[in-house]
Amino acid sequence: MASWMLLWKVVFLVVVVFFAGLAVWVTFQGARDIKTLLSTLRARHEKAQRPASD
Amino acid sequence: MDQLAAILSQTNFTALDWVIVGLYPLISVAIGLIARRYVADMGDFICAGRGVRTALGIATLTGTELGLVTVMYNAQKGFTGGFAAFHIGLVAGVTTLVVGITGFIIAALRRQEVLTIPDFYGRRFGQKTRILGGLVLALSGILNMGMFLKAGSMFIVGITGLPPGGNALMIVMLILLVLVLFYTIMGGMVSVVIADYVQFVVLSFGLLIATALAISKVGWTQVFASMSEIRGEEGFNPFVAEGTFGFDYVVWMVFLGLASCALWPTSVARALASESERVVKRQFTLASVSYAIRVIIPCFWGACAFIMIMQTPALRDAFFPEGFPPPAAAGTEALDSLYAMPMFLGRILPVGIIGIITAAMLAAFMSTHDSYFLCWSSVITNDVVGPLMGGKLSQRAEVKLTRWLIFAVGVFIFLISFLFPLREDLWDYMAITGAIYFAGTFAVLTGGLYWKRASSTGAVLATCAGCFAVFGLRGVQKGLAALIRIDPERFASFTSARVGLATIGLAVVAMVVGSLLFPDRAPAGQPIGKGE
Repeated sequence: MASWMLLWKVVFLVVVVFFAGLAVWVTFQGARDIKTLLSTLRARHEKAQRPASD
Repeated sequence: MDQLAAILSQTNFTALDWVIVGLYPLISVAIGLIARRYVADMGDFICAGRGVRTALGIATLTGTELGLVTVMYNAQKGFTGGFAAFHIGLVAGVTTLVVGITGFIIAALRRQEVLTIPDFYGRRFGQKTRILGGLVLALSGILNMGMFLKAGSMFIVGITGLPPGGNALMIVMLILLVLVLFYTIMGGMVSVVIADYVQFVVLSFGLLIATALAISKVGWTQVFASMSEIRGEEGFNPFVAEGTFGFDYVVWMVFLGLASCALWPTSVARALASESERVVKRQFTLASVSYAIRVIIPCFWGACAFIMIMQTPALRDAFFPEGFPPPAAAGTEALDSLYAMPMFLGRILPVGIIGIITAAMLAAFMSTHDSYFLCWSSVITNDVVGPLMGGKLSQRAEVKLTRWLIFAVGVFIFLISFLFPLREDLWDYMAITGAIYFAGTFAVLTGGLYWKRASSTGAVLATCAGCFAVFGLRGVQKGLAALIRIDPERFASFTSARVGLATIGLAVVAMVVGSLLFPDRAPAGQPIGKGE
C-alpha cells in the first residue's frame, strides 16, 4: 500500500506542476492565436466577397 | 430533503459570490455576438475555418473536455473509490500522450479534411454507413448528455446552498442553457473556441486555487493517512478485486482513455479544426496533461470531501447512515455522493473565491454544452439529413438547420435530465452511453484507416454491434429482467466495464468477419492512414 500511496502522491504533484505551467503558456499564447484566427477569417471573408462586388 | 437542505445551508456562498457568478455569462453572450461576424460558411461554423493553432487548440480541447459534469463524476469517483480512482486520470493522460506522439487516428482523419467522423465513413464506406454512423453517434451523444443538467444542478445546489426542493434550481439551469444555446447558435465554432479560451483561463486557475485551499484545510499528509486508516489497501490500489474497481475496470479505463481523446467526436472535432497534422499531434501531446488533470484534481477533491465527511459525525450519518462501508442492501436512504464535493468546496472556500470557482465551474458547464450541441447537431445536418436530401441543402440552409437542431437538442436534454433517475455512478453512466457509439467507431475507424480489406458491410455490422453497450446500464438491465421475469440480481455481474469490453470485442469481430465474408465489390475508398 505504501508504494501505491507514494505513486499517487508523485503523480498528483507532477501533473499539477505541469498543468500550472501549461495554463500560464496557453493563457498568453492562446490570446495571440485568437488574434491570428480572427484576422485569417476576416481576410478570407473579404477575399470571398471581392469578386461579387467587382 | 430537510436533512440535505440543513447540510447544504452551511456554505460560505454570499451575495458577492452571486454577483460574480451573474456577471460571467454576459462575457459569453458578447463573444457569440462578436464571433457571428466571422462566420461565412459551414466550414467556419463547424471547424472555425480550420485556423486553430496549438495553444488555442489546447484551450478549446481542455475547455470542452474539462466540464462541470467531468468534475462532478470524477469527484464522485474519488469519493467512492479513494485515491485508487487516480488510475483513471493516469491512464487517460498516458493514452492521450501516445495518441499525440503517434497521431493514431486523429492525424489520419485530419489529413482527410473531413468535417466529422461519419463524413469519413461516407468517403470510405459509402453513404448508408455514413447515415447509420451519424444516427448512432447522435443518439449516443445526446443520451450521454442526458444527465448533464442534473449533475450541473446538483453542483449549484451543493455549493450555493440553494433549496434543493424548490424551483430555483431549475430556473438557474434553464437560464444557463438559454445562454449557451444563444452564443452557440450565433457563432458556431468560432464563438466556441473563443469562449473555451476564456473558460480555460478562468477554470485552470480556479482549479489550482481550490486545490491549494483544499490541501491547506485538510492537510496533505492527513488526507493520505486518513484514507489509509479508513479504507486501507482498496483506497489506493485499483486492482484490489473486492474494492471499487478491479482488473477489468482498469482495462476498461485504458480503452476509455483512447476513446476520450481519439474517438469521441468533440475531441476529434478539435483535431479537425486544427491548422495542420503537425499542430494536431502537438496539441494532443500537450493536452495529455489536461486529460490527466481533469480526473486527478476532482478525484482529489472527492477524496478530501470523503475524509471531511468521515471526520464529521453529522455528515457521516447523512452520507453513510448504516456505517462505512455501507451494506450491499441498505435500508436507510443515504445522501447522493454527487453532493459531497460541492458541499466540501462550499465549506472550505472563502467568500469571493467561492464565487470565482463557481463561475469557473459554470464556465466549464457552458463550454462542454456548447461543443456538444454543435457537435451532435452538425452531425445530424451533415451526415444524416444532408445525404438523405441528396446533397441538395445550400450552405445557408445547413447553417440554419444546424442552429434549429442545437435548440431541439437543448430542449430534449432539459427534459430527460429531470425525468430519468440515475442508477449508477455518473462516470459509469457516461462511459456506457458513450460506448454505444465508440465501441463500433473504434472498429470502423481503425479498420477504415488502417486495413485495406475493411468493407462497408463490416462497418455497418460493427456500428450495430456497438449498440449492445446499452445493456451495461442498470436501468436497462432492470427493465430486461422485468420483461423476461427473472431476478435483476442475476445481472449483477454484468458491470458496465464487462459489458463495455465485451461490446468492443463484439464490434471488432463484426468488422473483421463482415469484411472478410462480404467484401466491397467496388471499394468506396482505400485505407488512408498512411496517406498518399
